[in-house]
Amino acid sequence: RRRDSPPPPPQDSVERIVEDAAMDLSLNPFSSGTRLRDMIRAIRASKTAAEERAVVRRECAAIRAAISDNDQDYRHRNMAKLMFIHMLGYPTHFGQMECLKLIAASGFPEKRIGYLGLTLLLDERQEVLMLVTNSLKQDLNHSNQFIVGLALCALGNICSAEMARDLAPEVERLLQTRDPNTKKKAALCSIRIVRKVPDLAENFMGSAASLLKEKHHGVLISVVQLCTELCKASREALEYLRKHSVEGLVRILRDVSNSSYAPEYDIAGITDPFLHIRVLRLMRTLGQGDADCSEHVNDILAQVATKTESNKNAGNAILYECVETIMGIEATSGLRVLAINILGRFLSNRDNNIRYVALNMLMKAMAVDTLAVQRHRVTILECVKDADVSIRKRALELVYLLVNDTNVKPLTKELVDYLEVSDDDFKEDLTAKICSIVEKFSQDKLWYLDQMFKVLTLTGNFVKDDVWHALIVLISNAPELQGYSVRSLYKALQASGTQESLVRVAVWCIGEYGEMLVNNISMLDVEEPITVS
Amino acid sequence: HPTRSRPPSTDADPRRWHSRLSAILPSLATGCHPVRPRRQIRAATPTRPRSSSRASADLRGRRPSLAMINFVLLISRQGKVRLTKWYSPYTQKERTKVIRELSGLILTRGPKLCNFVEWRGYKVVYRRYASLYFCMCIDADDNELEVLEIIHHFVEILDRYFGSVCELDLIFNFHKAYYVLDEILISGELQESSKKNVARLIAAQDSLVEAAKEEAGSISNIIAQATK
Repeated sequence: RRRDSPPPPPQDSVERIVEDAAMDLSLNPFSSGTRLRDMIRAIRASKTAAEERAVVRRECAAIRAAISDNDQDYRHRNMAKLMFIHMLGYPTHFGQMECLKLIAASGFPEKRIGYLGLTLLLDERQEVLMLVTNSLKQDLNHSNQFIVGLALCALGNICSAEMARDLAPEVERLLQTRDPNTKKKAALCSIRIVRKVPDLAENFMGSAASLLKEKHHGVLISVVQLCTELCKASREALEYLRKHSVEGLVRILRDVSNSSYAPEYDIAGITDPFLHIRVLRLMRTLGQGDADCSEHVNDILAQVATKTESNKNAGNAILYECVETIMGIEATSGLRVLAINILGRFLSNRDNNIRYVALNMLMKAMAVDTLAVQRHRVTILECVKDADVSIRKRALELVYLLVNDTNVKPLTKELVDYLEVSDDDFKEDLTAKICSIVEKFSQDKLWYLDQMFKVLTLTGNFVKDDVWHALIVLISNAPELQGYSVRSLYKALQASGTQESLVRVAVWCIGEYGEMLVNNISMLDVEEPITVS
Repeated sequence: HPTRSRPPSTDADPRRWHSRLSAILPSLATGCHPVRPRRQIRAATPTRPRSSSRASADLRGRRPSLAMINFVLLISRQGKVRLTKWYSPYTQKERTKVIRELSGLILTRGPKLCNFVEWRGYKVVYRRYASLYFCMCIDADDNELEVLEIIHHFVEILDRYFGSVCELDLIFNFHKAYYVLDEILISGELQESSKKNVARLIAAQDSLVEAAKEEAGSISNIIAQATK
């Protein structure tokens, strides 16, 4: 762009911002570079990637200089800038030690941004992380509850197995503190510790069980989640919690389900759906394979299943979890019927999310009551043709599970018919599933051949090599069907020769059984003679 | 980094011209949301979603599950990252790859489709609020309807904190958005179901920071600095 005389740079161009900063600097010797806000503006004002890189380069240079000068005053701001630059995708490893210095500082603001920087700029695989262990230990013992909170949060998000082992005793201790904010953070931090070092699970089970008596919802949802984790990590913890916590859980769920309007926790007319769902999940873990425990929770499950409103997502989320739990434990048949009914309702819901979830549930229900799921076969087949690819995929998985001797032929017909019109993206999955089904039920060889020939014609390019190899093997081992095969393949080839696998199989057959083709040898009842020159 | 397609605008007053998320918070009853069609800005790199069966065969079961929510991602309609939080170990390189893949998968989905995509053996729950997509990646057997509620919980809390939050708030105050997220999720698990409590805790910590700033800005400190 030609300019006659250099006009003043526009208000928020990069040049203007830098000019402003330079003015700022000359007037105020204590100012050290741009403010965070100005850096962000400069980056957003960049019209090209090169311009943005230039801004970032300049800022990084200033930050590096500040770091080597051991500048204390702007460490906080520089960390914020580093995090923003990191989010854009630029390397910022030179700033990792700054996180440590900020965390080791005594003030809350420095620690707050230092811990944030730690969790953003580092991941647990870096050795630098080990250097923080000491600061963490001190902060976990700090008198300021918010600083304890910062440490718990950082530890919970990013700790490695060694750090988990080192600091587990501190976290255990903090589970007993009075402040609910600290308690809930300690509970979640314990989850991470137990995931990293499952051996430690038994250390936490006593505290976890007793904390179920708490009234604070934040503490409850964290502790219930901790209990679920403990059960997964240790058999002993599972038995312990089965013995000590089932009554308490039933009470918690009953209270929250019966509670009147509580504005603080209300979502769509339901009090604290999150607590509902977590308790239901823990009940599933405890009741799985345990008749005693399952019996204890039977009534409350029935109550939640019948009472929960299902016109909003929150209610449906609870019902979903409830059905999962009913199907996961040793439930009574009455309860199971309730669950399947909910499933049926979900499946015919207009909301795509609900139908997707219903398909998921039906897959789990297969293990429990196959007949009930078979009843919904038609609807499920409709879902295979849905506009939404997520729903199509789920439905296809389900259809695959539903196939049995009685329904395999009509089901396969539907799928092959759909293969013709389906999206290219979906064709591969669909082809694979059809081939798999057909092979499983290939006792009826004639039917098997028919289906395979159709699939090869429609989507042969997606058919895997071992599938059409198996087809050839079957043909060569079935002399009575060789004539039929070569004639069908010849006809298919005449109609369409674009699918490579079809061509391969056809050519092989013609090579092997060309005589049968030309002379109409060993014809089956269903065939008509064809002339081949 | 793609070249910008629209001219830089004045950022003097972010609230003045950007859309308000609160006005467009979706009604969760139907699962569809009335997204105001402000600008038809297409995603920067609209890639065709690959057949996931290939991808998931490579990566299914490779990573041990460490959290209910493996990561949180906020991306704009143009594919710009506004916030990322990783609760499972991903290297920098892996993170970039994940973001690119998911952007391609999610940004190209039509508005009437369900809020779940299957990706590499995981499920990603997402919801669009104005110009931002809020995404959370969970395991295949987690409760996706609940995660939709968690996303909404997060958005409502942000809305209360920033006062009718918009994308620019999350850009210029990204660190504050992270502080809010840290009061809602730890290790990929829900921490607090009361929006009031979260607001209270953030406010208390913000005042600690304000108090420290005031002390640092006091006259004696300035004099001490000048004579250093």
